Amino acid sequence: MQPDDIKSNILTTTLESAVNWGRKHSLWPMPFGTACCGIEFMAVLAARTDIARFGAEAIRFSPRQSDLLIVAGRISIKMMPVLIRIYEQIPEPKWVIAMGACASTGGVFDTYSVIQGVDKFIPVDVYVPGCPPRPEGVVDSLIKLQKLVETEKFSDYSTTRGK
Amino acid sequence: MLLSKIITKVHDKFPSVTLDTTQFAGEDIIHIQGSYNLDVLKLFRDNGFNFLADITAIDNLTLGGFERFAVVYHLLSHETAERVTIKAYVPEDQPELPSAESLWKTADWQEREIYDLFGISFKGHPNLIRIMNPDDFQGHPLRKDYPRLGRKERDDFPVVKRGINKEAAQ
Repeated sequence: MQPDDIKSNILTTTLESAVNWGRKHSLWPMPFGTACCGIEFMAVLAARTDIARFGAEAIRFSPRQSDLLIVAGRISIKMMPVLIRIYEQIPEPKWVIAMGACASTGGVFDTYSVIQGVDKFIPVDVYVPGCPPRPEGVVDSLIKLQKLVETEKFSDYSTTRGK
Repeated sequence: MLLSKIITKVHDKFPSVTLDTTQFAGEDIIHIQGSYNLDVLKLFRDNGFNFLADITAIDNLTLGGFERFAVVYHLLSHETAERVTIKAYVPEDQPELPSAESLWKTADWQEREIYDLFGISFKGHPNLIRIMNPDDFQGHPLRKDYPRLGRKERDDFPVVKRGINKEAAQ
């Protein structure tokens, strides 16, 4: 390799930003669709909005293979233990999108059996308003989440999990 | 008409069981004592009303009625397309009545739902457990004296955190 090639072929960066760059363009979603938002999420994957453009087209129905949990729909008290288990099964790093009014706040279902926002029990990074949100809204939340992934710091990772 | 014949038959056979017969929206409603529901239902089933369309229940706490609870059977005759509603009244202090599962298999899950949401138990049911709420749920939410927002069931879960320690880093 000639000295001139080295000049034009080497890029200096930090490991952190290189890894975050890779992560933000390969978010693999785990869809947790329990209601009409789940139906709307299918449209997000389809040709018109096509989240493959953002590297998030690899929908995994196994939490162990994904790093983005999309809670799409209302969560009942019977479903919440399942959601918590699935969240805990996702390996780090992991992010959560609360899609729609029900996942974010409980929506119109202010009753004994519906969780009033999943963020009461699991950490949510991006909320998408709407009932259900349009596919553009979900794409917007994905772009917002990508910006969040960029700011992730290795020093934040604690070895003592859950403390 | 098939229905009027059976209603006179019910009156003749079980005079003390029938509390009232009313009409609503062009359909007959027969009000009976809860403990005799199987006798009346069997008579309807053997006389043409072969299809149990639905079972549901009513809490008469604020409505008034013969008893606190009424278990409502909606029957349909496939022969004549006639419909009839049978309301079996159940007292509050002993909310129990015989299961219709022996007459129609479809009563199985319907009765489990009523048991879950109203707390009315069915004698002779093969598997009377909750069907909608979690198994460890306390109370019967469709009863009128159950608070709409529940008894903090929806707030009773562990709070899970991510493995990163953002607070410490800041």
